[in-house]
Amino acid sequence: MGFISNRSKYWLERVGNREMVGYGLNGLPMYVDKPEFPFPALRYKEPTAEIHSLYEKQKGNWKLLTREEKKALYRSNYCQTFAEFTAPTGEWMKVVGIGLIMCCFGVWLFILQKLFVYKQELPISFKPSRVRAQMRRIIDLQVDPIMGLCSNWDYEKNDWKVKRWNTPPNPFIRCPDDDE
Amino acid sequence: MFRSTALLRSQTRQQLQDLCPRTAPKPTNNSIQDRNILQPKDIDGWEIRQGVTDLIGHDLVPEPKIIIVILNACRRVNDFALAVRILETMKDKCGSKENEIYPYIIQEIRPTLTQLGINTPEELGFDKPPTGFTICI
Repeated sequence: MGFISNRSKYWLERVGNREMVGYGLNGLPMYVDKPEFPFPALRYKEPTAEIHSLYEKQKGNWKLLTREEKKALYRSNYCQTFAEFTAPTGEWMKVVGIGLIMCCFGVWLFILQKLFVYKQELPISFKPSRVRAQMRRIIDLQVDPIMGLCSNWDYEKNDWKVKRWNTPPNPFIRCPDDDE
Repeated sequence: MFRSTALLRSQTRQQLQDLCPRTAPKPTNNSIQDRNILQPKDIDGWEIRQGVTDLIGHDLVPEPKIIIVILNACRRVNDFALAVRILETMKDKCGSKENEIYPYIIQEIRPTLTQLGINTPEELGFDKPPTGFTICI
């Protein structure tokens, strides 16, 4: 729009009879209600005979205008008052709702995967004795010895260096279900 | 020749610093007052709107003296709705401290309001949110 003048056919079709009264938001003859740019470039309503007579009366003493005339003057110049266009719209509810629906799709995928993808009996390597055996193998191979898993394993003590809520139990302790 | 170029360069640097928003001098109320009160008598609606838009771009609430000058300018261009809109803008500029600042402003400009016949947005009923279903947040 920077190359089209404000008085081109494109704009005049949209402006109509309305008077261009200011720079507005960005120099274009548009009507926008914004708290940062409170004075739009156009008057809101197209002038009719009544509004014209109001404008004439406005040139005189303002104390002679009745309350209804004052309100009509304001509404003919501006679409919404500050209180109206800064009022909360509740759009956050729509956004949160759509976000939660998207989360539901993810949960549905999880449910369908559990029902149709994974078989009811898991493979033999999921048994706890097998998991412990894998853990012993990992520790013997010294996987991630610097910053990762085996950096937390104390090879002198044969136990974890620091036991947090998520460290597995010591896999070198013999359990009844080993040798399965 | 070299002295004049040095002077020119320092002048340009000062101008650039004034334009850059981070290093520009912050407007004090005095500087704004001087600029506003020295307005020409035949200012027109376009300039009022532009001036007030620039004024509210700063991080301050204008003093009642400045608002009185602006309202008188509105009277000169015979635009009542503009005056009411300006009062609404000042109320919006108070931000979270509206209960402290806005009544003070209205109290200070009340003589001008009665003299020119301007009603505050509250008196015209424009301070209420739209009718119908109202949402709190």
